[in-house]
Amino acid sequence: MVRIGIISLAHMHAYSYASAVNRLPNARLVGIYDENPERGKKGAAQFETQFFQDPEELLENVDAVIICSENSFHRKWTELAAKHGKDILCEKPIATTVEDAQAMIKACEEAQVRLQIAFPVRFSTPIMRVKAMLDEGAIGELLAVRGTNRGQMPGGWFIDKELAGGGAVLDHTVHVVDVVRWFTGKEVVSVYAEVDTLLHDVDIDDCGMLCLELEGGIPFTQDPSWSRPKSFHTWGDVTLELVGTKGTIYVDAMAQSLTAYHDGAGKMVTQPYTEDMDLALIADFVDMVETGRSPSITGFDGLQAMAVGLAAYESAKRGQPVLLR
Amino acid sequence: MIRVGVIGYGTMGQLHSANLKKLPGVELAAVADLDAERRRQAEAALGVKTYEQGEELISDPHIDLVAIAVPTDGHGALLKRAVELDKHVFCEKPLVRTKAECRMVEKLAAKSTKKIGVGHVVRFSPEYAAAREKVLAGSIGRPAVARTFRGGSMFPLGWQDWYADFDRSGGVILDLAIHDIDYLRWCFGEVTRVYAKSTKGLTDERMEHAFVILRFENGVIAHVEGNWANYQGQFYTTLEMAGSKGIVSFDTRHTAPILYTKAGAQGEQANVTLPESPALVSPYEAEIADMIAAIQEGRDPKVTLKDALATTRVALAALESLETGQAVNL
Repeated sequence: MVRIGIISLAHMHAYSYASAVNRLPNARLVGIYDENPERGKKGAAQFETQFFQDPEELLENVDAVIICSENSFHRKWTELAAKHGKDILCEKPIATTVEDAQAMIKACEEAQVRLQIAFPVRFSTPIMRVKAMLDEGAIGELLAVRGTNRGQMPGGWFIDKELAGGGAVLDHTVHVVDVVRWFTGKEVVSVYAEVDTLLHDVDIDDCGMLCLELEGGIPFTQDPSWSRPKSFHTWGDVTLELVGTKGTIYVDAMAQSLTAYHDGAGKMVTQPYTEDMDLALIADFVDMVETGRSPSITGFDGLQAMAVGLAAYESAKRGQPVLLR
Repeated sequence: MIRVGVIGYGTMGQLHSANLKKLPGVELAAVADLDAERRRQAEAALGVKTYEQGEELISDPHIDLVAIAVPTDGHGALLKRAVELDKHVFCEKPLVRTKAECRMVEKLAAKSTKKIGVGHVVRFSPEYAAAREKVLAGSIGRPAVARTFRGGSMFPLGWQDWYADFDRSGGVILDLAIHDIDYLRWCFGEVTRVYAKSTKGLTDERMEHAFVILRFENGVIAHVEGNWANYQGQFYTTLEMAGSKGIVSFDTRHTAPILYTKAGAQGEQANVTLPESPALVSPYEAEIADMIAAIQEGRDPKVTLKDALATTRVALAALESLETGQAVNL
């Protein structure tokens, strides 16, 4: 039985991960620590677990932790968990600066604990199927990639530069970049981006467009905008189109959904029936802790995806592409 | 009576000729094509006089309006001749192939007393016009992010395979994505910065896929995508414009009101479904009718030379970005 603790419920994915831990036969949610005790206690009650006042006490009682704090605190909690010798699943993005991300990776290496970054999209059933198709050569040689990860404006600390590190561009670039790195085994070598605040009354970027180049000269664009209005039928999307010499694959990770109309709601909504990728992510992490194998998604993966998001801001500032590596 | 001569009797020349034939007040007087077989086809189908050289047709004093529908790299010289002889001109998009030709046409046209129109036909497509109306009416609030897609079908086959020659066609950006560049300019005004990437040079296959990122003076960020694939597919376009209060969008794969599936013969697997979106007046009919009406009414055509020059310069800036790897400021 793998004993899991959660540090912070600041990121809403914490709730989904807590629920996943509770559904797994080989894991137990030992407790929750939260800097906001009210939120922590409420969450602990909801998931029928214990609230810890002291994060170190929680760490002493678990095999591994899930960190869902505000982005800029990922480093602090990762270093603390590493000090206690615990394996870590850290919410994306890994951090808000390259320096923090590198320090986290180093701390985990030195403490010989395993650091996994939470990129659940890799565990989406349609995305996994596309990975298999690509590996079988379904589209020949890859020539171009178009991604979107658009969403509604999340509000809360996501629009606080200090806590989030960046707005839409950082928040919604890392998933797609991670999946494309995983699909292709190629790194992003150049980043061009337009970034702006045009949609909402916020002090952080809420829209943008990235035009990237993968190793081998492959063009790859990504739309991270918080451009889904309140009246949109769902929170957002994750889509990819991969154009190759022998074919094209389009995948919409959220397409498996019902269309529902309800007079009370005032709008059409879509309700996913796709398999739960958060559950699959947590199951994979628990399996890693249990079996002692390497993480499926490493700190380095987290660093590479975050670096693209940060380079996008740099490019937008300069009005020209930024070369990575 | 407006007497029209069509230069180039390929796909677009044939289409414009057929549409001109239907218009009242118009006489399709002549067709020019370098290919003798095509000239015979034009004579047989339309009963018109034919010329081998476009210049000869332009010099024909009976011709009032010259419609240019030859490969892109031939536009400049024909435009020059037609404007010099002060003819009305309708030119297929893209207007010209190079920046120097843009300057040349701009300078010459300043002296023209006649009407010059350009075939940015998307402005006549009902779904695009309706989406623009919605945006102008404030339906999406402040416009922020626009996305367009155009493509999905085979690499185009033209006379002498000119589409495959980048120096002649300018590839998928100048030939195809330019439609959306023009449309977005129509919606949002002028472009200040352009960055582009393409698969050009990545493969020997007959295909190109390109992305163009545009920044407009009003702040709007746009993602323009053009696709010439090498495999059989259904041509389609998509549009999405997102703003502070909403989204307007369509995808022609989902808006075709008719889906016709033809049964294969017994034992055959492949049934083919063809989507069809019928219209009483096609966008091509509407654009050529607008050109004729502009001459008759003494007004500018809906798509002016000024529009086409600005649009073409954005598309050429995208090609420059492909070349240099840098963003181009306009």
